[in-house]
Amino acid sequence: IQICVNKMNDRRRINGPSGGTSAPVYSKYLSKDTKDLSERPSRTRNSNVLRKMFLKTGVTPSASGSAYLELEASKSPHVIAPGLASLSTSGLKLTCTVHGPRPLPKSAPFSPHIILTTHVKYAPFATRRRRGYLRDASERDLGVHLETALRGVIIGDRWPKSGVEVIITILEGEEDQWWGDDIGRGNMGVGEWGMMSVLSGCITVASAAIADAGIDCVDVVSGGVAAVVRPGAQGKQSTMLVLDPVPSEHQEILAASVVAYLTSRDEITDLWVKGEIGHENHRTPNSSFSYEDLADNAVQAALGAHRVLIGALKETADMKMRRS
Amino acid sequence: MASTTAQPTLSFPRDTFAKLSPHPYLLAHLQPSSSASPSTRANGRSPTTFRAPHVNNGSLTHAEGSAVVRIGDTTVVCGIRGEILLASNVAGYRVDRSSTAPSSKPGYNETKELDLLVPNIELATGCSPAFMPGQPPSTLAQSLSTRVYSLLHSSGLVNGEDLKIWYQPPDLSDQDKMDVEDSESIEPEVKAFWTLYIDILFISLDGNPFDAAWAAVVSALRNVRLPKAYWDPDREMILCEDAVAVSKKLRLNGMPIAVTALVFRAKEQAPTGDNKYWVLVDPDAFEEGLCDESVTVVVDCTGGETKMLGISKAGGTVVGREQVKQMVGLAATRWAQLGPLLKG
Repeated sequence: IQICVNKMNDRRRINGPSGGTSAPVYSKYLSKDTKDLSERPSRTRNSNVLRKMFLKTGVTPSASGSAYLELEASKSPHVIAPGLASLSTSGLKLTCTVHGPRPLPKSAPFSPHIILTTHVKYAPFATRRRRGYLRDASERDLGVHLETALRGVIIGDRWPKSGVEVIITILEGEEDQWWGDDIGRGNMGVGEWGMMSVLSGCITVASAAIADAGIDCVDVVSGGVAAVVRPGAQGKQSTMLVLDPVPSEHQEILAASVVAYLTSRDEITDLWVKGEIGHENHRTPNSSFSYEDLADNAVQAALGAHRVLIGALKETADMKMRRS
Repeated sequence: MASTTAQPTLSFPRDTFAKLSPHPYLLAHLQPSSSASPSTRANGRSPTTFRAPHVNNGSLTHAEGSAVVRIGDTTVVCGIRGEILLASNVAGYRVDRSSTAPSSKPGYNETKELDLLVPNIELATGCSPAFMPGQPPSTLAQSLSTRVYSLLHSSGLVNGEDLKIWYQPPDLSDQDKMDVEDSESIEPEVKAFWTLYIDILFISLDGNPFDAAWAAVVSALRNVRLPKAYWDPDREMILCEDAVAVSKKLRLNGMPIAVTALVFRAKEQAPTGDNKYWVLVDPDAFEEGLCDESVTVVVDCTGGETKMLGISKAGGTVVGREQVKQMVGLAATRWAQLGPLLKG
């Protein structure tokens, strides 16, 4: 049971009860009822099929550029009775605003190229465990990866002495595992797989917002994620490589990788791999995937996202041409 | 020899004029030089026209209730999470039997005393170039949060009884005892409370944040479904059921809405007496930068009669009783327009 007692009493915000509150614990968590456990969601798509993506630009007219991305939540085919939303599998909802190019503050030293700043923040209601308003380590991590991915794409030399800010708000984030496996003992033993899908979405939506802002880039970058999963009980079945994984659909994820890919130039600006799938020497018939396979598949996923991205940007361009 | 060609007149596109001299720009719209053109605001609306609202409920998976409200270019997302506060964790709380409970005393607002409603407004999301992330809440964000907090409690919108989790202890007394004096049954007690964290995030800001934030709060509260919660005496903790059939919605007290207007004066520095003014309802960001005086009226027309929950004005002396009366009339029409959308 998580008890959020350690709330730094932030005087600038309205704080909750001083005694501390805890997230609701569902009796389903604690029951060993096999009926409930059969509601585990499973992947219904093929291993190379991505989820439907909805991408729209111009959601924040006062910003230089903005975009909104939504990945639909997968519906479990095994649910018996309709349950409350908080135990369903979540989708991904991100908004991104770009402010710039703006002049740097007077105190900043001269810079011959544009200074990119990224900021990623989860909304308090984005994940199963309520997050606070202060940025934590995982959000800074995402920000650094995003900056790496975008830095390679923006033509910085055209904007000396300027800065651009890319701000992403995560309204609904992927969870790391199915709630049924999460018996509230904290994140021991579970990698942060949800963050990889979030990063891939962040890259795509930031790319759309930067294009909406009219900042020069060498290419359109898109994000893709792939994972090596082991369906079924431990060690019994062989591994599978899937694109666009939803962590709650898989019982065991061995490794995952996110890439930021430039389609026309066939280049990667950011690559992040988590997990263990063994060396060449230790390859067994059961786990025959290499890290190269993983990265290649993530590139395939990025290509899929690229198609949606180009479609959305074409619509934006048409609208802007008609207006001017 | 100096050339005598006529100087070409400078002409800018409208946007540039708006940026270079905003006050004359708006004044020229409201007070056109030719009587043929109608008097409008810079955005084309009349001073008493609102922007069209759009409301969307229940789109967030991890929130007990949610709403996305878009009024013109101002977009706000409100998510409500419920968490459990154990009665034993409340400092100085005595077990709440229905007869001796502190809440049975008149005038005691338990929801407020125990901080069971926690609204917070977050503006630093990049919703406008003025609100960059990474900063602590600005004065505007803090004052908006406080206004929502006090309106939530003063309106009595949320019924404190909905937030209580009762427990009926089993009667373990001796079955044979037939003593008449000992016939008092065991009273149910409150074991815990639901605390609602109401988080309001601005995706885009184009003026009038309070009206949009309040509409989002009301709509999200209407959307809230609290799971059935009960005290498990063996595990000594509160457990919840996730089936929709046993969950409950909140019983809200009415549906108040807020309407804000700003006062635009023709001559910025002149005294009020001989100065032409316009009361602009539902202002956008451009108009907010040009006005000092603001009025907010909160009304509730549930049941046919227009009830006023609050009037607040600050920043000048132009608005008097007449103008407030007009605003209440406008607010009633806005209630009729917004009410069906907020009901979800």
